[in-house]
Amino acid sequence: MVSSVRTDLPTAPGLARSPWTWVLGVLALLGLVAWIYELGHGLAATGMRDVVSWGMYIFTFAYLVGLSAGGLIVASSAEVFHIEALRPLARLGVLTAAVFSAAAGLMIIPDLGQPIRVLNLFIFPNWTSPLVWDVMIITVYFLFSATELWVMVRRPERKATLTTLAFIGLPLAVLLHSITAIIFGLQMSRPWWNTALMAPIFVASAILSGTALIVLIAWILQRYQGLAIPRATWRWLAGLMVMALFVDLFFVASDYVTIAWDNIPKDRQVLDLILPGGPYQLTFWFEWVIGGLVPFIILASSKLRAKASNLALAAALILMGVYAFRIELVIPAFVNPLIQLPPGTSLGAVSSSGSFQLIGHYSPTWVEYLITLGMFALIALAIAVGYRRLHLSRTIQEAAEHVAD
Amino acid sequence: MARWGMVIDQSKCVGCWTCAVGCKAINDEPLGYWWNRVLTTEPDSSAQIAAPATPAVDVPHGTFPNLDLAFLPLACQHCNNAPCEKVCPVGATFRRDDGLILIDYERCIGCRYCVAACPYGVRIFNWGPAKREPDFVIGYGSDYRTDGRLVFEPVRPVGVVEKCTLCVERIDAHEQPFCVDVCPVGARVFGDLDDPRSEVSVLVNQEGAEQLLAELGTDPNIFYLPSSHPNKVSD
Repeated sequence: MVSSVRTDLPTAPGLARSPWTWVLGVLALLGLVAWIYELGHGLAATGMRDVVSWGMYIFTFAYLVGLSAGGLIVASSAEVFHIEALRPLARLGVLTAAVFSAAAGLMIIPDLGQPIRVLNLFIFPNWTSPLVWDVMIITVYFLFSATELWVMVRRPERKATLTTLAFIGLPLAVLLHSITAIIFGLQMSRPWWNTALMAPIFVASAILSGTALIVLIAWILQRYQGLAIPRATWRWLAGLMVMALFVDLFFVASDYVTIAWDNIPKDRQVLDLILPGGPYQLTFWFEWVIGGLVPFIILASSKLRAKASNLALAAALILMGVYAFRIELVIPAFVNPLIQLPPGTSLGAVSSSGSFQLIGHYSPTWVEYLITLGMFALIALAIAVGYRRLHLSRTIQEAAEHVAD
Repeated sequence: MARWGMVIDQSKCVGCWTCAVGCKAINDEPLGYWWNRVLTTEPDSSAQIAAPATPAVDVPHGTFPNLDLAFLPLACQHCNNAPCEKVCPVGATFRRDDGLILIDYERCIGCRYCVAACPYGVRIFNWGPAKREPDFVIGYGSDYRTDGRLVFEPVRPVGVVEKCTLCVERIDAHEQPFCVDVCPVGARVFGDLDDPRSEVSVLVNQEGAEQLLAELGTDPNIFYLPSSHPNKVSD
């Protein structure tokens, strides 16, 4: 296969000379600076306090875990279900899986009060804790996708090994999302989380956001790097997205209906926060309209979905919608604690309004924004470097030639 | 082996916060930290209500002249089936054989999963360097270890979770928790729930003391005699 290397591929300027590299590098550096500031000031530098005690780091973590799925699912599906059209994106998919799972693991670090003790997770694991299982599965998932990537790039002739890896990868991705969901789903102290639907929702939204991510990257490569992605590949990706979008919103809606009909006060309180008119309604609009209805119309219309740029638009909107879903999942669950009596919960700080809070409040600080933004910049850099160093453009192009349009 | 428990008689509680302030003093809880709080509630109401009638403390509920007022002193419930212990990824939160739920300040990684998992909202995280006014250490004043694990420090490190220890230092020295001693109306009774003749056992088994959010199955060792209950503690 190496003999058929094409020489007529567009030669983009080296990474070091691209202004994007510098922008991303500066952003990543700013994130690092913000983290050093946080290390000096403690988590008091964040907007979290004892009522809303998890914030941007955790919902971004859940988001990154979801994004790491799509790649591996697209890559494995090509092999497991013999979908030739998805084969060109297999390596890219595994690369994103490796990068995003590593980033998800890293995202936990700034959320820890004692990051220096992070190895305690491996030294003193408490196996009843879903968090321990999640740390383990993220580690395994990262090592697995890194290994699969290595085999794909360095030992592409080992077809049987690659098939085996694909068959392992698919259930591994499902497991990763189920366990991450269980961190939330098992907590009876948070009625908003305590639903058996949590794992299915996480798997569906992971397939949704992960596929959208692949679509967005593939479109950027086609638009700015001159790669030709076959039309059949776009068709499959569009189909995957619309199916996942439908299943995901169906699960979420099932939860809404159960809560609305039962009208159990502590459940209903959360739903009222996010439904139109509530203080967190922005997440609802992003999840259901901007990242739900609009991309659904684009993907359902045979005219609109025929254009790759429309697919990219739908993918971008879906990515926003799924991020909104993660926010909606984490923050409102904390706002109204089970025991909500005056004067409220002790904040662990003295604010201008006293040292108690009856109704939780959270807004992220610049430290949280910079660290999160820095993480996204780091991810983009890692994918760009990986794409370049692993010569993905060549393999995408080669595989694309085998796909019938 | 004893199983330590407490019964709080809400019909006696006057809502003076002496237990909360006493707790703050002996455990040297910094500004903004309350291991123990006295919440304003209604008699016989479920603790898990939709929303408080008013955000203000000490305000009676109802319409004049049918007003009613009750207090719910709230700290760690020292559950036998503790969600915080189950979710702690590193086993920093642990249950001693006598029922005490304690935190190992040397092992806690500060992930705050326990804060999310606790249905009672009694865990407090050390967000930043503690502020104290006046700025000197009061209370126990020295570290305390049980089974080699550091479960009390006068100044807790930034980035770990802390909460009520049921005054493990005093229990191990055969004394009662400080909140029990300082309560001016004797609304708190401490004792061994495994001893059927202890006062706490009698109050639980014969007088109908109840657990908070019992429906969740956390099985706390702290019990409450509702405020409508006839005044039967100790006299």
